[in-house]
Amino acid sequence: MSKDKTPQTTRRTTRLSASSPSLTNAVSTTSHSLTLRDLVFGGEILNADDLFSSLPGRRGVILELIRLLGPLNSKMIPLFLYGGISTGKTTTVLQIFRHLKRPFVYVSCRTCYSPRILFETILNQLLLHRKNEGNGYSSAKRCEKPADFVNHLRDALVNVINGLKEKTERSSSKKSVKWVKGNMIYLIIDNLEFVRDWDKSLSILPFLYKLYDLLKMPELGLIFISSASPDTYYSDTGYEEPIPLYFSDYTEEDLRQIFLRNQLNPKLYASFLDVVLKPFSRVTRRVDEISTAFSQLFKIYCEPLQDQTVVPNEEMKRRLFSHLQPHIAPSLNETFRVPSLCSENTANKDTFKRKVSGNKLGVPDISEEIDFHMSVCAKYLLISAFLASRNPATLDASLFDSTGGAATRKRKRKASEKSMEQKDIADQELLMKGPGTFPLERLLAIFQCITSVAEYSLEEEELGNGGSGGGAGDVGLMSDVLLQLSSLCSANFISKGSSCPLEGSTRYRCTVDENMVLKVARSMKFPLSKYLYRN
Amino acid sequence: MGSIEAEDLQLCQNDENDLQPFFVLHKASNQRIERKSGGKARRRIDLSSSVHDNLDKSDTGEADELEKLRNEAFDCVWSKIKSVIKDALRDINLDVFNEIDRWVHESFDAITSRGKPEFAKVTCSYPIVSDATSKQLFSGLVLTRNMEVVDDLLTFADLGQHLKSHGCHVANLSSSDFSPKNGISGSIRSLLRKFLMVTLDVADISALASWYAEPGNHGNPVVVIIEDLERCCGTVLSDFILMLSEWAVKLPILLILGVATTIDAPRNVLSSNALQCVLPRKFKLRSPSERLDSIIEAVLVRDCSGFNVGQKVATFLRNCFLRQDGTLSSIVRALKMSVIHHFSMEPLSFILKGLLDEDDRQVQFSWKHETLPEAMLSRALDLPSYTKNKLGEPNGEILEQGLLQLRRSQKLWSSVLLCLYEVGKHHKISLLDLYCEALDSELWDTRASDLHSVLDDKLKVPEDIMHMGGSIFQAIRKVRDSSPVALCQLLDSWEALSEGLTEIQEKVKELQCLSKIDDSKNVNRELTNISRRHTSRNYTHTERDAQALNVRAATLIGSMVRDYMQPMECIPFHEILCFKNVDKLQSNITGDPRRRIQADLLESYKFLKCSCCRVNCNTPLPSMHDTSIMYALAQEHGDLINLHDWYQSFKATICLSTKSKQRLKQSPSPKKRKSAVEPQAINGASLQARFCRAVMELQITGLLRMPSKRRPDYVQRVAFGL
Repeated sequence: MSKDKTPQTTRRTTRLSASSPSLTNAVSTTSHSLTLRDLVFGGEILNADDLFSSLPGRRGVILELIRLLGPLNSKMIPLFLYGGISTGKTTTVLQIFRHLKRPFVYVSCRTCYSPRILFETILNQLLLHRKNEGNGYSSAKRCEKPADFVNHLRDALVNVINGLKEKTERSSSKKSVKWVKGNMIYLIIDNLEFVRDWDKSLSILPFLYKLYDLLKMPELGLIFISSASPDTYYSDTGYEEPIPLYFSDYTEEDLRQIFLRNQLNPKLYASFLDVVLKPFSRVTRRVDEISTAFSQLFKIYCEPLQDQTVVPNEEMKRRLFSHLQPHIAPSLNETFRVPSLCSENTANKDTFKRKVSGNKLGVPDISEEIDFHMSVCAKYLLISAFLASRNPATLDASLFDSTGGAATRKRKRKASEKSMEQKDIADQELLMKGPGTFPLERLLAIFQCITSVAEYSLEEEELGNGGSGGGAGDVGLMSDVLLQLSSLCSANFISKGSSCPLEGSTRYRCTVDENMVLKVARSMKFPLSKYLYRN
Repeated sequence: MGSIEAEDLQLCQNDENDLQPFFVLHKASNQRIERKSGGKARRRIDLSSSVHDNLDKSDTGEADELEKLRNEAFDCVWSKIKSVIKDALRDINLDVFNEIDRWVHESFDAITSRGKPEFAKVTCSYPIVSDATSKQLFSGLVLTRNMEVVDDLLTFADLGQHLKSHGCHVANLSSSDFSPKNGISGSIRSLLRKFLMVTLDVADISALASWYAEPGNHGNPVVVIIEDLERCCGTVLSDFILMLSEWAVKLPILLILGVATTIDAPRNVLSSNALQCVLPRKFKLRSPSERLDSIIEAVLVRDCSGFNVGQKVATFLRNCFLRQDGTLSSIVRALKMSVIHHFSMEPLSFILKGLLDEDDRQVQFSWKHETLPEAMLSRALDLPSYTKNKLGEPNGEILEQGLLQLRRSQKLWSSVLLCLYEVGKHHKISLLDLYCEALDSELWDTRASDLHSVLDDKLKVPEDIMHMGGSIFQAIRKVRDSSPVALCQLLDSWEALSEGLTEIQEKVKELQCLSKIDDSKNVNRELTNISRRHTSRNYTHTERDAQALNVRAATLIGSMVRDYMQPMECIPFHEILCFKNVDKLQSNITGDPRRRIQADLLESYKFLKCSCCRVNCNTPLPSMHDTSIMYALAQEHGDLINLHDWYQSFKATICLSTKSKQRLKQSPSPKKRKSAVEPQAINGASLQARFCRAVMELQITGLLRMPSKRRPDYVQRVAFGL
């Protein structure tokens, strides 16, 4: 970007940013100062045809939006664009502005997670302020209160609009390349739904809606973008309701066109889409979700091919489909897949073989052992936490009694049918409730019960091993159970209800699934099923 | 270095922790305050006392000199061990680090190929990508394979350094930056602090973009390391990731997430929207047991410092690791404790420094026995290991010879052990097991005969020996079963390991020659086999040959184990180098604090050593500390204590002395308390205050639970068991 623009505007901007210590001439040529031109999307010029073709399935919305924005320099009522996640709201708006070459200011309420950052980001852009090391990465204006913001915003807007007006006068006389059109400036506020979670959302949301009325500047256009519908916002009369515009979910055909854009080999990809798009579009229409799934599936799809530029015939399509088919169903259910490294696989061949056999079936292999280190003490603690969460507390006595639960179980069978039914319902309820909570005392009691049994067998084993573990080196398991418990909590295996730790009334809950506990139990040869209560 | 330094600190704190229970009880006492001054001072006091005990207080000047020597030796030995541990830990993860580094640069190239942003666009506020996949953040999931994160703090610091040296911008964040209390602003703030080196009053990610746009910073990958994913608050971390993904391409940020447990952890922690933005890649660090093996190998087996531990101590360390804690830091701490104990208890231990100064190759000592004071020499010759098997005339010469012999046999021992470990590496036999077994002197005695029988019997291993011998036998058996290629590699590594030990090396070389001839024969045969048709017969031939070679190798390692692997504890003078006192270590490591608190509360006079309390220690006396009086009184109750009764008996105890003096004035009955005479009123209030304070203290130490709503006048005793 060279500075071939009117000298007047550049002078103006330097005057504007003169309040901050940074000076444009002090820094090197690479970090130039911002000009009005930075308020436009810039880049190559986008004509209408390209606009429509780059956004498949959005033709109607684009036309409607352009109509609402109106011709050059016409007053506009605030807009409220909404629609599901990943339906192209932001992209559409930005591309339209790129096409129209109108200046705008964009803020996302996700990045600007507090009112102050939101205000300062808007002002920074309007004041053409750039953060750098010289000014300590600070904003142009400190602005926390909405009232201050309105004042600053008005000043800044007046300046920018004047600059734009001068620009258009000059360019109309000179007939130079028009990089900006109109004297309007648009404020785009994206991800508005996040404002609802802010502390001051009750005051900020109405304020943002009222902003247009407060400023009373016809040169300002406001556009809100949200993934939640306008009904979900706290509505308050006293301001003009923005015009809603809905972005519907993509249809299957739209998705096909979206995915066919920018493909190296459209024919091959089309045949791939024939296979996968239907099942996926039934599950989700979100482009981001589908595209991550497709990028992995397409790699698998292309595996049998040597030449990726080949145009597939019917026979090849069938072959590729049969190669892909086992992978489709699992990836429908998966949102997150971690590919392992190929070098790691070749490094240890025995696991590699197992992985290959697992992958052939298309199911992620479930390894038989746990892959990380846990001390024996922590393992027992985890098992006892699991038991405490799963078993009803009333059965503890019979399960861990030395006489065993055999006698009680017989009695249970004699119970009448009705009570059995009731019990079943209760069990079902228990299952639906998920893992139960338990106090620390119960956990420790179970822990002591199962370790006393297990230690006995452990010692026996070690005696068989030539007594290498015996003698003075033998360590009891009880010494730092609480420490282990806290590390289990921080590993997210046990969750802890918040309560005063001195009171001792904290309740815990085991959040580990049965598979994992089974693995742990197996690694210690602990008979888990013996202690697990099932109906 | 961070964690080791931290360990030192921890160690000091640990020493103080031991003292704390009686600090609570202490009112001013000069003697104690002196002792309070840190772990080091305490150690010195211990040192001097033990020296005095051992030398019968013969010559204090000389003793001081020796103590200084030992302190020096300790510093030397420990700093050596520390640096060796650090190197071992760094080296073991180096290949993973390189792999991560390669991935970082590959991913960075991928990001820039997606559309290198114009320079001006880096700081623009709107997202410049329209493609959904390029919104994803490259994230490396580093599996630390240990539930405890303590050990990996150092690893991630190292990783950060490694990446920094390869031209990345790196920020190490931990779970405390992702706490629900500070929310997203806290995490952004600490991120900015790491990169920008300034603290801003508003933590705005656009400042990072501006920073990245500066000429010096542009064009390098930005790596954010989050050390412990599981401990982070899920919502905050999800917000953080989503926010970063809004800046994708503009800011080439790569995440490295430390995962302590399973690969499912991100799925459990992050929201699905955030997961959508993560493009994961898996890396595995070495498992803790592998890391421990490398530490054991570097420090104890390779004999870096001359310091060694006995079999019982080694077994204790092993059990600690497997059963209790499972962190390397605690093992290193235990190791340090044993070094400290060794130097404080063994007067002769200063000799270690002389050993350390020497080059490994030349087995000569820089000190001579003449320099040794008489008392020391006589002590050396009184060592049980020397008196048990007398070698000759007790003089200084014999000590020197003995030490030489000790060093030499230790070398043989360690090289044989490493040979075994070389076998075990491929068969999941850990060095730790081999090490503990190799140290066992009882096993050594029985093993000799066993091995004879096993090897003579043409390696038909009887079943009962298998679980008798454990891992060493297993390793030998693996040698017999290994494939020819593996055997060749094994022999090569054995040759390298027996460098400088001629008696072993020769035999290994002999076998190597055999295997090479065998190899060439095999090749020849295979070539001829192709032309001829006697394949099956010839194959059995070659197989039999290979089998014979395997048997010979197994015999070799068997005889090596039998002849050279003499445990240290069988050799005279080993006490000088070897720490064996496991009880001392055990009492330090597994401190049983609850029991300690209870015991100390009941026996506070032992620490206070005042003249008044010692008279009869079973009944509480008014001169004792309130809390210990209260606890002693509580012993008479069950698990529920009536507060009123308790207060009355407390009051009775306190007033015991005053009563005896002022019996005339006072009315002892509690019922008449309200009508009691005026001077007692103040006393009553202060008494109640003292009572309350004591109850609070007992609650804080975890011995009591406060009254519940259901039973307002009862407290519950929580901890029992003395």
